[in-house]
Amino acid sequence: MKSENLKKGLRLFAFFFKIGCFTFGGGWSILAQMEQEFVEKEGLITKEELLEMAAVGKSVPGIMITNISMLFGYQLCGWFGGVCSVLGITCPAVLILTAVSWGYESFKSNYWCHCALRGIQAAVVPIIGSAALSLGRDVFATTKGKAIGIAAFLLCVFTGISNIWLVLLGIAAALLTEGVRRHGLS
Amino acid sequence: MVYLELFFSFMKIGFTSFGGMSMIPLILEEMQLHQWMSAEDLTNLVGIAEMTPGPLGLNCATFAGTQTAGILGGIAAVMGVLTPAFTLTLAVAVFFARFRRNAVMESILQFVKPICIGMILAVILTLSEENYWNGAGFELRSILIGGCMLYFILKKKWSVPKVIVTAALMGMLFYGILPYLNKF
Repeated sequence: MKSENLKKGLRLFAFFFKIGCFTFGGGWSILAQMEQEFVEKEGLITKEELLEMAAVGKSVPGIMITNISMLFGYQLCGWFGGVCSVLGITCPAVLILTAVSWGYESFKSNYWCHCALRGIQAAVVPIIGSAALSLGRDVFATTKGKAIGIAAFLLCVFTGISNIWLVLLGIAAALLTEGVRRHGLS
Repeated sequence: MVYLELFFSFMKIGFTSFGGMSMIPLILEEMQLHQWMSAEDLTNLVGIAEMTPGPLGLNCATFAGTQTAGILGGIAAVMGVLTPAFTLTLAVAVFFARFRRNAVMESILQFVKPICIGMILAVILTLSEENYWNGAGFELRSILIGGCMLYFILKKKWSVPKVIVTAALMGMLFYGILPYLNKF
């Protein structure tokens, strides 16, 4: 491996490691930081390219931000850059959550921490709900989206269908309609 | 072997989810199916993953894996959840120019996105029952905290960490201090 690539890879790792340590609020705030660092300060890619990566990263399964960091790293220095970027964003999460997990049992059995956790549990539904609301706004804008969403909700609540099968069913339905659209029914 | 099971579970989750929040219903389902974590711990899982920095999906996977089978379990779960990035996304990166406006992928998303929202709504229903109903009646203190947080998020545009810290303080007040005051 060329030493220049190695240097680039390590820089990517360091950048994403830093982001993984200090970013709250998920994908979009990370994207904003990438824009600041790589578009405005260094001019390594254009804003349009970054937005395009975000669009593609969102449409590939998995965690959006790891997909985007893979695309971004690959563009800068090939597969090595992609792997460095993904590992960079992953390491802090693994380290932090492992530490939290170790303390979790004693944390849970402490009287005051237990009470705090009850409060946090009560906040989880509003947090997920508001995220669903903002995600659902453009999805539910179309009749088709509304119909599929409500059908999925009802299936989840009233049948024991597993979530994974539901998603696979959706993919199959999409491929079927796309096929019919392109080739007709014949 | 539990590590392999965790890896494959989270690989499945990775390949069938789009974005961190859509992962939550899938993770909860897998964890309950294998009886790896209790319902209460699963609610805490979401809170903890939101409270810690970094992407939600990675945090959930690490915590769930570590709780189930220690540090190696956490690594197995994370590797599982990363498989789409290391395979599919890498392939897409190689053919980036050709993938940009892919009609097939877009029509898949038109179906899968609303399904994800439907799944999240169903999870909200289950979690609400878990948190706001104590078996005999409504858990009024939790409902009050939840209502306040909903107001702060939607109307005051509070960030998630701020909401969680406030909710924790309210929890200490309602569940920690109030029972003592009632004795007098």
